Amino acid sequence: MLQNVVALMSLIVFLPAVAALVLCVLPRGRENIIKLVAMMVTVVVFAATVWIAIPAHTVQRSSEEPGPVAVSVSPTPGRFELGNPHMQNVVRLPWIPAFGIEYFLGIDGISFPLVILTSFLSMLAMAASWTIDRHVKAYCVLFLLLETGMLGVFMALDFFLFYVFWEVMLLPMYFLIGIWGGPRREYAAVKFFLFTLVGGVLMLIALLMLYFSSDLSKLSQQQRAACHIDQPLVVSLTADRTPQPVHTFNMLALAEMGQMPDSPFDRPLLWDKSVGWWAFVLLFIGFIIKLPAVPLHTWLPDAHVEAPTPISMILAGVLLKMGGYGLMRICYPVCPAAAYELAWLVCAVGVLSMVYGALAAMAQKDFKRLVAYSSVSHMGYVLLGLGVWSATAATQFNTTAWKMGMSGALFQMIAHGLSSAGMFFMVGVIYDRVHHRDLDQFGGLFHKMPVYSGLSVGIFFAALGLPGLCGFVGEFLVVLAAWNYHKALAVVAASVVILTAGYILWTIQRVYLGPHYKGPHGEQLTPITAREVAIAAPLLALAIIFGVYPKALLDYMTPTVNHTVQRLAEWTERLHR
Amino acid sequence: MADSLRWLPLLLELAWLLPLGSFVLIVFFGPLMGKGGRGAGWLATAAIMCSFVLSIAAATVWLSEHPLVHSSARDGSEHDCGASADEHCPAVAHKRAVPAAIFVERYVLAQFDQLRLSVAYWIDALTVAMFCMVTLVASCIHVYSTGYMHEELHEVTDQQVRTADGTALRRPGRYCRFFQYLSLFCFSMLGLVLAGNLAMVFAFWELVGICSYLLIGFYFERRSASLAANKAFIVNRVGDFGMLVGLMAAWSGFGTLALGDTTDAQGRLVQRGIFSQVRPAEADYRLTVPDGMVRMAAAEEISAMVANAHARRPAGEQGQFVEQHKATVDQWQSAEQQSAAAARWQSSEQPKAAAAQRWSVERRQPAAEAQVADRLPWWRSQGYGYWLLVIAGLGLFCGCVGKSAQFPLMVWLPDAMEGPTPVSALIHAATMVAAGVYLVARLYPMFAPEVLLVIACIGCLTLFIAATIAITATDIKRVLAYSTVSQLGYMMFALGVGGWLAGLFHLFTHAFFKALLFLCSGSVIHACGTNDMTQMGGLRRKMPWTAYTMLVGCLAICGAGVPLVVGLSGYYSKDAILAQALSFRAANPAWGGIVVVAFLGAGITAFYMFRMWLMTFAGQPRDKHIYQHAHESPLVMVGPLVVLAILAVVSGWPVPGTALSLESLLEQARPAGAAAGLDQGVLVAGLVIPDEHLSHENPVFHTSAALTAFAVSLLGVLLAAVFYGLPWLDPQVIRRAFAPIYSLLVNKWWLDEIYHYMLVAPTLRLSQLAAWLDRRAIDWLADGLARATALVAQLDDRFDRLVVDRAIDHAADWTYAFGLRLRRVQTGNIRQYLMVLAAGTVALFLLVSWFWR
Repeated sequence: MLQNVVALMSLIVFLPAVAALVLCVLPRGRENIIKLVAMMVTVVVFAATVWIAIPAHTVQRSSEEPGPVAVSVSPTPGRFELGNPHMQNVVRLPWIPAFGIEYFLGIDGISFPLVILTSFLSMLAMAASWTIDRHVKAYCVLFLLLETGMLGVFMALDFFLFYVFWEVMLLPMYFLIGIWGGPRREYAAVKFFLFTLVGGVLMLIALLMLYFSSDLSKLSQQQRAACHIDQPLVVSLTADRTPQPVHTFNMLALAEMGQMPDSPFDRPLLWDKSVGWWAFVLLFIGFIIKLPAVPLHTWLPDAHVEAPTPISMILAGVLLKMGGYGLMRICYPVCPAAAYELAWLVCAVGVLSMVYGALAAMAQKDFKRLVAYSSVSHMGYVLLGLGVWSATAATQFNTTAWKMGMSGALFQMIAHGLSSAGMFFMVGVIYDRVHHRDLDQFGGLFHKMPVYSGLSVGIFFAALGLPGLCGFVGEFLVVLAAWNYHKALAVVAASVVILTAGYILWTIQRVYLGPHYKGPHGEQLTPITAREVAIAAPLLALAIIFGVYPKALLDYMTPTVNHTVQRLAEWTERLHR
Repeated sequence: MADSLRWLPLLLELAWLLPLGSFVLIVFFGPLMGKGGRGAGWLATAAIMCSFVLSIAAATVWLSEHPLVHSSARDGSEHDCGASADEHCPAVAHKRAVPAAIFVERYVLAQFDQLRLSVAYWIDALTVAMFCMVTLVASCIHVYSTGYMHEELHEVTDQQVRTADGTALRRPGRYCRFFQYLSLFCFSMLGLVLAGNLAMVFAFWELVGICSYLLIGFYFERRSASLAANKAFIVNRVGDFGMLVGLMAAWSGFGTLALGDTTDAQGRLVQRGIFSQVRPAEADYRLTVPDGMVRMAAAEEISAMVANAHARRPAGEQGQFVEQHKATVDQWQSAEQQSAAAARWQSSEQPKAAAAQRWSVERRQPAAEAQVADRLPWWRSQGYGYWLLVIAGLGLFCGCVGKSAQFPLMVWLPDAMEGPTPVSALIHAATMVAAGVYLVARLYPMFAPEVLLVIACIGCLTLFIAATIAITATDIKRVLAYSTVSQLGYMMFALGVGGWLAGLFHLFTHAFFKALLFLCSGSVIHACGTNDMTQMGGLRRKMPWTAYTMLVGCLAICGAGVPLVVGLSGYYSKDAILAQALSFRAANPAWGGIVVVAFLGAGITAFYMFRMWLMTFAGQPRDKHIYQHAHESPLVMVGPLVVLAILAVVSGWPVPGTALSLESLLEQARPAGAAAGLDQGVLVAGLVIPDEHLSHENPVFHTSAALTAFAVSLLGVLLAAVFYGLPWLDPQVIRRAFAPIYSLLVNKWWLDEIYHYMLVAPTLRLSQLAAWLDRRAIDWLADGLARATALVAQLDDRFDRLVVDRAIDHAADWTYAFGLRLRRVQTGNIRQYLMVLAAGTVALFLLVSWFWR
């Protein structure tokens, strides 16, 4: 039984990488076969994640009164258990035992939606890659490596493994932008690489700081078991007969240590600030580069403008989510003290990104740049939703608003994954035909390409946060939650709905409405093809489904989010005793 | 709940969803439905007519369970509220009783502890009446549209749009798209009416906005249309931003967004809704600041209490804390999981989740919570949180300001006339723009007196500004648009001064006569091909049906009638508003000025409406060419006109021989305690919103209102006749005499220009600044860093070559040279070697002995 789970999880992560190796040895020239193989791989990975998503047996409750919960064993191992807030499908094998580094994978309500989003968007992006005609083999190999990196980041539970996947995904992305990109591709690729690398280095420093401060022997037996450390702890003694700390990269254990009353991360490090504080700051900078948040966002517009369409889809749809995921998975649980202290900073950066991104989007002339800035604005909601530490003494540690904020942030990540990937694809469709992206040189597309325009407008409306489409839910939850944290901040955040409407409607007007097309190559404006519809329609359909019935997604998320928030609220409460 | 009432949610739900079905079908199969999509029109019309039938059925069910009593309105002298007839006397009974309403939760979209975002219905007499009105007007307009939009059945040549090569644009017809949007709109509008919680209200609020956007931009090739569509949506978003702030305040204050109380399957109370929190029966339905708002305002005090509670914990207890804590943590976690599971399972599990939540809170903060609960009433009496309630009310009203085109967000509605005329009639006159008024009426219980005062002032300002602009407008649809804005101002004003029923009553009568007026104008435009009234004239001879139905509309909007005896629908509703205004003036003399403006507005209304009618239909044709081509519209267009004209006449009357009238039906939904003279202003001292029944019961208000309004309106009509009917006076003369005022009015008070320079342009400049900052500051820094690094690398390289390499080269050269020199030592002479060896040995010994001394 266990073997199945190991196989399933490893299949999801490593199938693309293995396929990439296989593609390497395939002869050149058979480009369609190569594309087909890559496509099949992404489909298989997506199918595997969908198989997990089909809800299995749910947690049964023995009785009404609170007490220990009887968790029934899920009849099909590998299937996702709705309502279980803990890690599922855990795979834990030793990798580099000397440093306690493990091959440690798992999914829960926070990571699983992102995993399935990744596999879904990878599939669509591969389908969108059909128009790539240069160095097809290399492209597919790099694309598949990228997929492995992304999935690995979302599934890794060992901090070191997480870091490795994080860096693994960096190189393929660099080449995908640098080789298949637009005219300024080298500049964009290097900029992307350097920015992300800086984030990676900061993360590495924080990683080592946390590792060397951690001590598994401080955790109780039960706590260790909760972190899936089931073997007995071997504690060696130093020369002066004090027990030597047992370091770990286990992210769950790090979180457990970060939240315990006498946390090992509370040790002062520099300038009166603790290890945890510095780790939080380093990780926070590292993750908001990826998110990206103002003022560390300028790599994004360049990378998007130069990247080929499918890579833009992946970049906006998945890569940006890693920043938010890292904050949610690592920063908050591991360093709650710093997160509590710096909640204002997180929220302020979030609101700044929302406003600044929306304003900058309004000023753009390049279609792709505009969409890129809209991403900055939309990802600001994620930061704000995460940051609203509203379970404080003044609210008597009421967690409702914060749960809402964090669920909203997570929902916003998925929603933005769908809508931004869709928008970039829609820009790509038109770019493939007329080879320019100048917003002032479009117009009248509704006449020439009615189906395309209808789908585009639908996806743009999803980004605008129209009710009934996915963008609304996340924004609404986050903004509502922000009020309990800080009223002025919430009001500024709410005002962004005006700016968003402004730049999106203006874009729609300039591109789709109007009497005639104003730019060059007007004769090549052919109707959208079936392949393109097959990519855009699922995105719009999901945007509608999640907009009308957000519970479909929230059911996966809320147990874990609530659990996380509850733990942090209890931590806050302890702080006040 | 009576058995038949169980069917009510289902009936209305069906009526609501039918247009959605029609929308979906037309999206996928529209172009396949007959030639040019003709079938789409029939489908959409059939759907909305079925909705109308279902709404009527719902109304019947409602009335069968809630029989009407004689309305107290209109004739105060007849009314006698004796003690014996207490329960039959709305004036007294409704002050104390909660109006009959059904609150149903259909399904939960998301749940966070007690907060549930759900699809819920709030059904009362107002809902039912709104359903009937919306579906009836929409049915008329659908039928009318099948005629009006027939050009869209085939290829259209749009003379207003030039393509790149200068010819008029030819495009395929969009008949089915029109009906597709119309169906979506009906669905959204009905959803808005049916909504049982504020989140759902907000969702449908935005949806009607987007439908409006799509329909204003129906002729999207025209730049003016796409600009107007953008303007409408963005200006509405400004209002929605305020509404969002109101929602935040409401949510954090009430802990729920549901209007009604949530009960579980056994009928036990789970969560109190907004209405019963803000006007609890315990407080005799007085305005009460909810606990959440009081707590929020007292955050500092609570914080201190929590700290104190922990500080006072005995020392022994501190030590045991960890164990206790662990035990309780387990319990909380399981409670937590339980609440999550309950959310997942079914709504009937909810009480447990809520109970678990409360329980955990109680366990955690027993001491502090007890203290806080003790202090709550005192804090409340000190006015804690009252300002939050005011913010919530003002915020929600902001949304209404946007949607109902009130000052200062009124600028979008006149531009919205770019849409096809049936759209203007349905969305921008009868239903969507009235949604703001509807929402104010719906949320009436939660508005503090200060908020109502703001509403009254805004309404008053709007009705005056819009009416004055209408005087100089020459576009027939724009006259009607400004008149709509002005009438919406009347409704808001009525609600603000306490005329809950009066405002709503006017909403209904206005819906009928304004839809009629718009459809008539559509008929005229259809016949003339222009909107410009200066090119019309004398058209009553060509299109009598249109002319006289429009005359009925004009009379209705002026409130024509024989004072105190009988009148058209507008007579009753306007009269009720003005009577209430007088009552308000009597109660608050300091604010009496706004009442005068309202009367003035009635006169201006009469003037510009008759100016419009006379310019269009009376006198001599101004443009022969247009006059010759004008013709009466076909039956599908005239039919709805007649239906609406009849409604414009009779909708204020009771059904003969029964108590059934619009007023008595609406009276059933009057919120308990609201505007009943119970609440006093806190921030504005001495402010009282008078009980609406006072204005009915006191014949003085009523008589003086009726007579004054009649006189003022008559004056307006006569003035219009003097200028445009008879014509004794040339308007040009007046125009020249009052040039500054004319210029103010014809430029629409320069509102558009002010907004452009004050808001739009600065925002655009700000956005340029953001883009500039990105390129010139942040990127400059990043690129500069990169360049600096490259520079350092170059320096490094130079250092390597000039210093390190050179040093090594020198070292090598030196070593080589040294080797060369050393070579000379290697002479091959053994004696010399031995000598050096001996000397070396001696030197070594000397050295060693020196150091190891």
